[in-house]
Amino acid sequence: MRFGTMLKDIVDSFFKKSATQLYPIERTPPPKRYRGALFYDPKACTGCCLCVKDCPSKAIELVILDRAAKRFVLKYHMDRCVYCGQCVVNCKFKCMGMSNEDWEHAVLKKEFMVYYGKEEDIAQFMENIATPVTGATSG
Amino acid sequence: MNNMPPLIAILFFPAGLTLIFTGMFYEWIDRKLVARFQNRVGPRWFQPFADAVKLFAKEQITPGLANPFLFFGLPIIAISGALTAALYVPLMGLAPVHSFPGDLIVTVYLLSLLTMCIGLAGWNTSSRFSLIGATRALTQLFAYEAPFLLALLGPALAAGSWQISEVNGYAQTHWLVLSQPIGFIVALIGLMGKLELPPFDSPEAETEIVAGALTEYSGRGLAIFKIGKSIELIVGITLVSAFYLGGLEGILPFLLKTIAVLLVMTVFQSLLTRLRIDQTVGLWWRFGTILVLLQIVFMIFLRGYPL
Amino acid sequence: MNIEQNLQKAEQLLEAWKKETTRPEPDRLDVSISVDDLHPAVGALHEAHWGYLSAITGLDLGVDSGQLESLYHFCNGAAITTLRVRLPRTGDAALPTIEDIIPPATFFERELHEMLGFKIVGARNIDRLFISDDWPEDVYPLRADFTIDQAKPVEGRHADELPEQGVVGGNTFVVPIGPQHPALKEPGHFEFTVDGEVVTAARMRLGYAHRGIEKAAESRNWIQNLYLFERVCGICSHTHAMAYSLGVEKLAQVEAPARAQAIRELVAGLERIHSHLLWLGVTAHEAGFDTLFMYSWRDRETVMNLLEQLTGNRVNYSANVLGGVKCDIGVEQAKAIKDGLNYLETRIRHYLEVVTTDTMFLNRTRGIGTISFAEAENFGLLGPTARASGLVRDVRVEAPYGAYKQFPISAVTATNGDLEARCVVRLNELLVSCFAIRTIIDNLPEGPLTVKMPRKVPAGETIARVEAPRGELFYYIKSAGGENPARVHIRTPSLCNWVSVLEKAVGRQLADVPMLIAGMDPCFSCNDRLVTVTRTGERNTWSWKQLRQYGIEYYKQ
Repeated sequence: MRFGTMLKDIVDSFFKKSATQLYPIERTPPPKRYRGALFYDPKACTGCCLCVKDCPSKAIELVILDRAAKRFVLKYHMDRCVYCGQCVVNCKFKCMGMSNEDWEHAVLKKEFMVYYGKEEDIAQFMENIATPVTGATSG
Repeated sequence: MNNMPPLIAILFFPAGLTLIFTGMFYEWIDRKLVARFQNRVGPRWFQPFADAVKLFAKEQITPGLANPFLFFGLPIIAISGALTAALYVPLMGLAPVHSFPGDLIVTVYLLSLLTMCIGLAGWNTSSRFSLIGATRALTQLFAYEAPFLLALLGPALAAGSWQISEVNGYAQTHWLVLSQPIGFIVALIGLMGKLELPPFDSPEAETEIVAGALTEYSGRGLAIFKIGKSIELIVGITLVSAFYLGGLEGILPFLLKTIAVLLVMTVFQSLLTRLRIDQTVGLWWRFGTILVLLQIVFMIFLRGYPL
Repeated sequence: MNIEQNLQKAEQLLEAWKKETTRPEPDRLDVSISVDDLHPAVGALHEAHWGYLSAITGLDLGVDSGQLESLYHFCNGAAITTLRVRLPRTGDAALPTIEDIIPPATFFERELHEMLGFKIVGARNIDRLFISDDWPEDVYPLRADFTIDQAKPVEGRHADELPEQGVVGGNTFVVPIGPQHPALKEPGHFEFTVDGEVVTAARMRLGYAHRGIEKAAESRNWIQNLYLFERVCGICSHTHAMAYSLGVEKLAQVEAPARAQAIRELVAGLERIHSHLLWLGVTAHEAGFDTLFMYSWRDRETVMNLLEQLTGNRVNYSANVLGGVKCDIGVEQAKAIKDGLNYLETRIRHYLEVVTTDTMFLNRTRGIGTISFAEAENFGLLGPTARASGLVRDVRVEAPYGAYKQFPISAVTATNGDLEARCVVRLNELLVSCFAIRTIIDNLPEGPLTVKMPRKVPAGETIARVEAPRGELFYYIKSAGGENPARVHIRTPSLCNWVSVLEKAVGRQLADVPMLIAGMDPCFSCNDRLVTVTRTGERNTWSWKQLRQYGIEYYKQ
C-alpha cells in the first residue's frame, strides 16, 4: 500500500516536453499506408465498374463517355466516402489508390464532389450535364 | 492598519480588484501546474480571465423551482464573504487592510460563508444533482472545519494572540513549520478540503453529479461563484503561509511562499484519487482531528510549563 | 470431452423433446422442438450445466411461409446447440419466457419482442429495450413485410418517455445518469433511486445509439456489409469484421490463408491493447484519478500509431477483406511494432503496480462490486468481467478460431471479483497479448494474403464466435444463396454484462455507481444496432427558438 505511486511520472514530466502536438503549427506526416482521399488514374481503367459495385456508401460513380475509346469520368463524393479502400482492392488494373497526403478535409459545404479523368473528358461530361444527352451513364 | 486610504485599499490595492486578478492568476498557475504534471500543455495565462468574461456574456437560465431572490443573491453574498475575509489577511505581504483582536475567527468564518452559500445555492435550485452536491458540500464543511481551525490555532497559541497581524509578526521570527510540522500538514490538507480541490472534490465530482451544487448555474452567477472560489484560494494560501512559513514581510516573500504552497498542493492534486464523501469525513474525523489535537496538547505542555 | 462427445451429451439431454436434429457443421447441433417443450428443454440443459445461453436469434421465414422462428443458442466450450422453435406469424402463439431459469435471457427476449413481434408469456418486464418510445405499436422492424412508411412517430409521445421524476418522498429521489452525463462516454440512460447517498433501486434504458445495422445489412451485398459491421463499434471494430469474415468464409467453404489469419490475430491483439488502455483511462477518470487517465491515454497513442502504420487508419482499421487481409507486415512495420511493444510493456507493468498498490485508488476499487463465481455464472457474464470472478469464459481458449490454434493465448483469471480484480485481469491480458504479438511476428507463416471468394455465397446458416476485448461476440449469419445476406444477428458482450451493474449498484453509494458502470467496460455502440432510425424525408430541424423553448418547458416540471 503506497501513497502517490505516480510521483516519479509527475516529477519527470514537469521537466520533459509535453505530449501534446500543437496542430496546426506542428504537423506529423501520416505513414505511407494511411488512407486519405482517393485518386484515380484514367489511363489504365477499362470501365469494369467493380469499384462502384462494392462501395459501402455509394461514394464513386463511373461515367462512361465512350467505352471503346476508354473515355471515363470518375465522380467521387468525398463526403460519402468512408475511406475503407475496398475500391482499391477490387481494381485489377491498379488505377486507384488512397493518398496519404490529402487528408485534411474540413470544408464548409457538405456536398463535396471531385471529378477525375482526362481534361477533355471532364469538359465533355460537364457539357453533357448542362445539355442532357441520352446515352451511356452508369453507376 | 494600512497606511493607504481605506477606500483605495478596499477597492483597488491590495484587496478588491487586485485581489480578484491575483486570484485568477493563481488559479491559472494551479491549472498550468496540474497540466504540466500530467504531461499536457495547459492553458495560457489569460484563460481564467477569458472564462470570466465569457461567462459574464452568457445568458443566465433560472430553474423554475428555484427562488429567484436566493438564486441571484447567493453568489453575491458568497463573494462578499470572500472579499471581506481578505481584508484581514496580509495580502501581498503588506499589513492587513483592517485588523482587530479576534479577527482570525472572523476570517475563517467568512471563508466558510462561501461554502455555506454554495450549499444553500444547491438546495435552492433543487435539481437532483445539485441536491446531492449541496449535501456533500455541507457534510465536508462539518468535517474539515474543526481540524483546519485547530491547525491555525497552533500558531495563534504560540504567538499568544487571535489577531492575524500579530501572529504574522510573531511568525516572521519563528519558523513554525519546523516546530509544529504536524500542524502544518493538517493545515495544508485542510486547506485542500476547504477549497474542494482533488482529492476532496467529492461535492463537485464531475463524473458522478455533473457539477454538484453549481450544476444549474450559468452566466453571471457561475462567474461570480468561480471568482469567489479563486479569492478563497488566495486568502487560504496567504493564511497558511503567513502562519507557518515564517510570516509575509513583503511582496517578494509573499509570491515565493504562496507559490511554494500552491506547488505542493498541485502535486497532491495530481497524485491522489478522489475520495468518496464518507471516506473524506472518516479521514478527517479520525486522522485530522486527532493529529492536530495531539499537536496542540504537545504545544500547550511545551509552553505551559513555565506558567 | 471433445466437441463430438459434448454434442452427443446434449442430444441425449434433449431426447424427450426433440422433433428433428441436424448437424449443419461439425461443431453445431440443431434441435427443432415445439413451443410447449421449450421450457423443459432449456431447464434440462441448465440443470446439467451444459454450457450457457449465448444468444437468442429471431428469424422471419418470409410472408409466404407464414412462420417466425426463434433460435436459442447454448455454447459449451466449442460446441453449440441451437434449439429451434417455430411460431405462426399471426395469431396468439407465444413463447414462454425462460428468464426464471436463466435470468439474463430477459434482455434477449425483450429484443425479440420489439424487433420481430414475438409474444413472450410470463415475462416480468417486456418494455422496449432499444426502440424509442414514440415508435408505433405493432410495427416490427425486422419483419420481412416492414416498409419505411410504417415508421411514423406516434403523436404526443417523446422519444424517451421517462417515468415520474423528482422527489419521491422524504430523502429518496431518482438520480438520472444519462443520456447526457460526464460519466458516460456514449449515451445510455440509468436511473438510480437514491436515499441520501445509498442507492436503493436501479433501472436502465438503452438504444440511444441505435442505427439499424441488422436491417441495413439485408440490403447490402456481402462485401459492403463487411464495412458496415466494422462500424458497429469503434474500439472493437476489428473483432466485428473478423467475426463476420470468419462466418462468411465458413459459409462459402473457403479458408483464409495462414498468413492472413496470423495477421488478423496480430491486429486483434493490438486492438485489445488499445481497448484496455482506453478502459483504464476511463475508469481512472470516473474515480477522479485524472493523472492515470492522461498517462494511459498518452500511451494509447503509441499503439494507435502502430495500427496506423500497419493498416492505414487509427480506428476502423479495415484490415480484413472477405477471404484474407489487406495489409501485409513488412520489415519496417515489424520493427516498429516491436519497439512500440517494448515501450508499452514497461508502461503496462507500471500501471499494474499503480493499480494494485496505490492506496487512494484502492479505496475506490478494492471490495467494490464484488461478484462471486456463482453469481457470475448465474448472471451469464462474459469477458474480463467474468474472468475476474474466476469464471473462465474465453472463446480464444475454449474454441480457438483462426490463428489461435497455432498461436494460443493463455486465459487470465482472478478470484476476487471486485473492481481491482477486473483491472488486474485486463492489464495482465495485455501482457499476454504483447507476448503473443511478438511470437506471431517472429513466426509469421509465408503465403498469399487472400483467397478467392465467390460473389454469391451459398445458402446456409453459420455461427461465428470471436473474443472481443469485452467478451464473447456472437454472429449468426444466414444466406439464401444471393448477393445479400438474408439475416445477420449480432449479440455483443456488453448486453450480457449489464446485469452486473444493475444488481450490484443496490446498497452501494452513489459515488460507486460510475465505477461499477466503468468496471464492466460498457460499449453502448456495440449494444445498439437494430432497427432503422433513418426516417428519410422527416428531418427534425429545430430553430434556435424552438430548441430554447423545449429547454424551458423541460425544466419547468
